[in-house]
Amino acid sequence: MKILNPDNLRVSTEPGATPCLLGNRCQQCGTIVFPKMPVCPSCHRNGAMEEVEIGRTGRLYSHTIAHFAPKGFIAPSFQAFIDLPEGPRVFSLIGSKYPVERGVLEDGMEMRLIVEPLADTPEHRDELTYKYVPASKANGAKA
Amino acid sequence: MRDVAIIGVGAHPTGRFMDKPLKALAYPAIWGALDDAGVKVTDVNVAYVGNSLGGLLTGQEGVRGQVVLQHSGITGIPIVNVENACASAMTALRGAWLEVASGAADVALAVGVEKMNVGNNARTISALSGVSELDLSELGMQFTTSYAIHPKINLKSRMQEYGWTAADFAKPAVKNSYNGSLNPLAQHRKPLTIEEVVQSRVIVDPLTLLMCSSISDGAAAAVVCSADIATRFSSKMPIKIASCVLQSGVYRLPHDDRPDSATTSAYAAYEKAGIGPEDLDAIELHDAMAPSELMLYERLGLCSPGEGPKLIDEHVTTLDGRLPVNPSGGLCSRGHPVGATGLLQICELVWQMRGEAGKRQIEKRPKVTLAQNQGGLLLGQDSAVYGCTILKS
Repeated sequence: MKILNPDNLRVSTEPGATPCLLGNRCQQCGTIVFPKMPVCPSCHRNGAMEEVEIGRTGRLYSHTIAHFAPKGFIAPSFQAFIDLPEGPRVFSLIGSKYPVERGVLEDGMEMRLIVEPLADTPEHRDELTYKYVPASKANGAKA
Repeated sequence: MRDVAIIGVGAHPTGRFMDKPLKALAYPAIWGALDDAGVKVTDVNVAYVGNSLGGLLTGQEGVRGQVVLQHSGITGIPIVNVENACASAMTALRGAWLEVASGAADVALAVGVEKMNVGNNARTISALSGVSELDLSELGMQFTTSYAIHPKINLKSRMQEYGWTAADFAKPAVKNSYNGSLNPLAQHRKPLTIEEVVQSRVIVDPLTLLMCSSISDGAAAAVVCSADIATRFSSKMPIKIASCVLQSGVYRLPHDDRPDSATTSAYAAYEKAGIGPEDLDAIELHDAMAPSELMLYERLGLCSPGEGPKLIDEHVTTLDGRLPVNPSGGLCSRGHPVGATGLLQICELVWQMRGEAGKRQIEKRPKVTLAQNQGGLLLGQDSAVYGCTILKS
């Protein structure tokens, strides 16, 4: 197993630690971006970005079910955008334990970040990435 | 800047042409445009060739423009290869326009060509995913998903916000399929009903198969020249490029309330052409997913937010309406060979303005027209490329 993009995702082995995304915060204007970039897109200051841990939780901005997939991925699948409390809106897949059906997710619901393989396929089985799942345990997750 | 006119256009039919490589698709489009313009190969000073997926799908990673043009007898001149996703061809036209407008060239050729049918649709879909930034596509994001739920497009939220129904989503596809049924160059020539579109299989909820543009091969070309020498080559009516605007997407955080880039590029084109949306007689726009046409009505300033379906219900944008949109059949019916689409739009508008559009000819020949083309996707929550061209006769 390897982390698909270690620059974007922190998986700590320390007890009690939870995984999070790694973004940048502009030390001049406070804008937080994900993924990282060296120039602030808001104030255009170069070299003022510092690394910040973000995205342990979020809110489901929008989601859909894709009924086909590119090579190496599985259909149907949830595809979603998540609003992070720190500012950025990120694209994310949804944890694989949730049945891909209408009614399982609701826009606006609270989400939390998990880490799991990108897809259960030979191409991506060994690549760990971030996904989001509903923060509350309801919503019919499979055990 | 000098005034620039389009004096010739040509297109290859759009569809599935398994036995034709890029150069064979481009050849009839290029010579169609040269013959239409009455220019010789030796009159062309410079050429821009748009193509998006040819590297991945055909293996011709470099110098595709030179390969394509040599096959058509054009060598020696500056040839610029253009990749700008689904807006590659409009970007090629802008290059040709700028060469002539600046005085660097008198006659320039713009070509768009795409070969998407390679006998393996999964490969084609993966290649198409590559017009999104890798940070998105490597997570398995579908390009179609962006139309369904991407923040600046989000057709799904429009259903909730404006009460648009699945039938509303189907309306542009139905309208455009009728137009396409009259177009001998179109890929899909069967007129569709609302029921057929709504009931076709779901691709990315709420978009169904018949709301999506399909995998296409095709090519288109245009010859442009300085307006003051336009009549030297051909007796046909020259079509003036009143503006040709290219913009890239803007990085947007959530709650960014600046106008989106489809709007800003259209209004930049209006301003440069000295017109407003009320002056337009016909439009070709980028309906990669049919319901996005309804949203583009708003962005181009044709109606208030949420009013898009009315423009079809009230026969404003139908072929017999005051402002026909996508008389060619648009991307869903005529077809969307991605790197050719922008110039296919221009071909259609030129034919309509000259009265050469056959059975789909707009009755009152349009004098002022607009082509809107866009493509690609970045994480910054906006499409990557926006092109908008206004033509005047």
